[in-house]
Amino acid sequence: MEKVETNSLSRAADELEQLRPTGEVPEPDACLRMARACFAAQDMAGAYEWLARVADSRGPYVAWASAAGALAKFEEREPPLTARTARVAVVGSYTTSQFVALLRLVALRRRVRLEVYEAGFDLFRQEILDPRSGLYAFEPDYVIVAPHEGVVPFPALTEASAVEETLEAEVGRWRTLWDALAANSSARVVQHNFALRPESTWGHLAARVPGTRDGMLRRLNDKLADAAGDGVLIVDCDRVSAAFGKDRWFDDRYWHLAKQAVALDALPELARHTAAVIAAAEGLSSKCLVLDLDNTLWGGVIAEEGLSGIQLGGGPQGEAFIAFHEYLISLLSRGILLAVASKNNPADAREPFEQHPDTRLRLDDFAAFHANWDDKPASLRTIASELNIGLDSLVFVDDNPAEREVVRRLLPEVEVIALPSDPSGYIRAVSDSLLFELASLTNEDLGRAAQYQARAAAEAQQAQAGSLDEFYASLGMEALVSPFDEVNLPRITQLVGKTNQFNLTTRRHGMNEIRGFMEDGRAVTMSLRLRDQFTDHGLVAVLIAEQKDDVLDIDTWLMSCRVIGRTVENEMLARLSEAALERGVTRLHGTFIPTAKNVVVKDVFERLGFTLRSSDSGTTTWEYDIDQKGPITSEFIQPWNEPVGQP
Amino acid sequence: MNSSNPGTNQSANLERIEQVVRSLLNNDDISLTPETRAADVPGWDSLAHVSIIFGIEEEFGLRFSDQDLVGVETVGDLAERIGRAHAGGGV
Repeated sequence: MEKVETNSLSRAADELEQLRPTGEVPEPDACLRMARACFAAQDMAGAYEWLARVADSRGPYVAWASAAGALAKFEEREPPLTARTARVAVVGSYTTSQFVALLRLVALRRRVRLEVYEAGFDLFRQEILDPRSGLYAFEPDYVIVAPHEGVVPFPALTEASAVEETLEAEVGRWRTLWDALAANSSARVVQHNFALRPESTWGHLAARVPGTRDGMLRRLNDKLADAAGDGVLIVDCDRVSAAFGKDRWFDDRYWHLAKQAVALDALPELARHTAAVIAAAEGLSSKCLVLDLDNTLWGGVIAEEGLSGIQLGGGPQGEAFIAFHEYLISLLSRGILLAVASKNNPADAREPFEQHPDTRLRLDDFAAFHANWDDKPASLRTIASELNIGLDSLVFVDDNPAEREVVRRLLPEVEVIALPSDPSGYIRAVSDSLLFELASLTNEDLGRAAQYQARAAAEAQQAQAGSLDEFYASLGMEALVSPFDEVNLPRITQLVGKTNQFNLTTRRHGMNEIRGFMEDGRAVTMSLRLRDQFTDHGLVAVLIAEQKDDVLDIDTWLMSCRVIGRTVENEMLARLSEAALERGVTRLHGTFIPTAKNVVVKDVFERLGFTLRSSDSGTTTWEYDIDQKGPITSEFIQPWNEPVGQP
Repeated sequence: MNSSNPGTNQSANLERIEQVVRSLLNNDDISLTPETRAADVPGWDSLAHVSIIFGIEEEFGLRFSDQDLVGVETVGDLAERIGRAHAGGGV
């Protein structure tokens, strides 16, 4: 008898395993079927887990709404075990029932079980102002105030003299509601700000005429944010709707039919963002990003391809990794911890952070660094205990889907980001997870931010320079000029191969020829890396000159179009004239060979003080006599003295 | 989300409508005929109706006209509007 039961149980388990959805973000319908099967098999944990997974999709609406309905049904048997339970009242100016149902679903995904009170349609003012309303009897922990822009009574145009007063009055009305909520309950207010409509009466004029409805609604959002302080949490619906697409966010058919101010297929997104704000207020935001290395923080495999083989800067693919570095540094500056979990030799894993000329992240940016041959779950456990935070505070970022699946299965507490295959999509994937919302900025956060400010771009001090000289001076430019080396060779070869505009001779030397110059004692090779107070431009200029007796003849000279107009040409030739003097050479020769695209450098030698030697069907040759004219000078670019890799 | 053409097969369309309604009302026992009215189906209230209409747009990949959104009395009305929206070149 007992044996039969065991058999039928294991058969049920087999059947469940066969239903198990596949793929990184499984089809929501498949998750739903799995959830219902678990429910039927009395596996409530599985039922809730798979329901919550529906919220990892971005629709369709029917799947979300169906899962939300299933959630209500499952709870009749047994409520889910979640990290938190919160009582949430929703008061709005439009039909909010569908929103509320989806909010409960996505809150479950964020490990919060919501008990909900929903005020009647468009009764938000009455419910808030009446101390005996159902809202207060419910004793909420959060009150979501969800108005649509239609409730704001601004006319198409407010007379200029009345603009400020009208705005203040409107802010005052919302403040009155927040004050009433504070007086009658201890709930935190979650205010949806106003999603501006895509249609406009005033068109682009609205952006510069203060009294237009569009312009005033924009300012109202700003003023509400100012008035919110720490007591009121804001969900920036205007930004969410813009990112979603306002054309789809607003579907007036459903407003006229059923007073739905937000299109049903936009509601998952509104619910996701609202739940993220509540999860943050509950202290459930993630604290640490755990990163893989190869193909996650650079392209390629460091142990195989070496420092000069990996993609990091210097080309479109490498640029995407640099952008990801910079995004991670911005997270670091607001207090998110970074850690590494990589299957690599420790020395290999560290090398790019210590020595790669383009790396933005440095070793000391990582709170924990685990390069070894352990499996990823083991490394994640070690990192959590080292940093003294829970596994549920970790977010795992790895380009390898198999590693991600292992972590999902073995460490379900860890959030796993489904990275896209293209590195250019990494930033969006991390940002769109909404796992790092902050409910408020603490002094500690600010302190951390200050720490990184020294490294960050000082954009606030952006120069209001009047003259070109003042502008150059204000940039605070520094250049690192060095001979070619193996690490820089790929980037140099790439620049030589593709630069069209600032390119004097357009000689497309291949890597071996360039290496030939590098190893040839008679040649001077120079690569220039430029940074200014805003950014590090990377390796942007290349020059090759060959010594012929007492002349240095410029074979190749080019510069990335990103830094044209920065006086980099003066800096290059100032350094070349220094190099010449060191060799006892007193004359520089240059050649300009015209192409369809390099007219920008036609006069560059003349501007730098060279004298024309010859001219033949557009090709010109030039000479600079250092003895006679003195060394070429560079006024606005300072030397960059720190070692490479420590920018 | 289903890619087959809407409006070409009455009984197939009816099945797909039934699937949307079952999903949204979380009830697999629901069985629809062209004569079924909302009031005959437990849970099909005015709120559910809006979700069902939208769910059908999503399922059939079409967009009802303003006109089509009103006056839906029976499942047959819905099926007829699906055909019309399709003929009218809905999305």
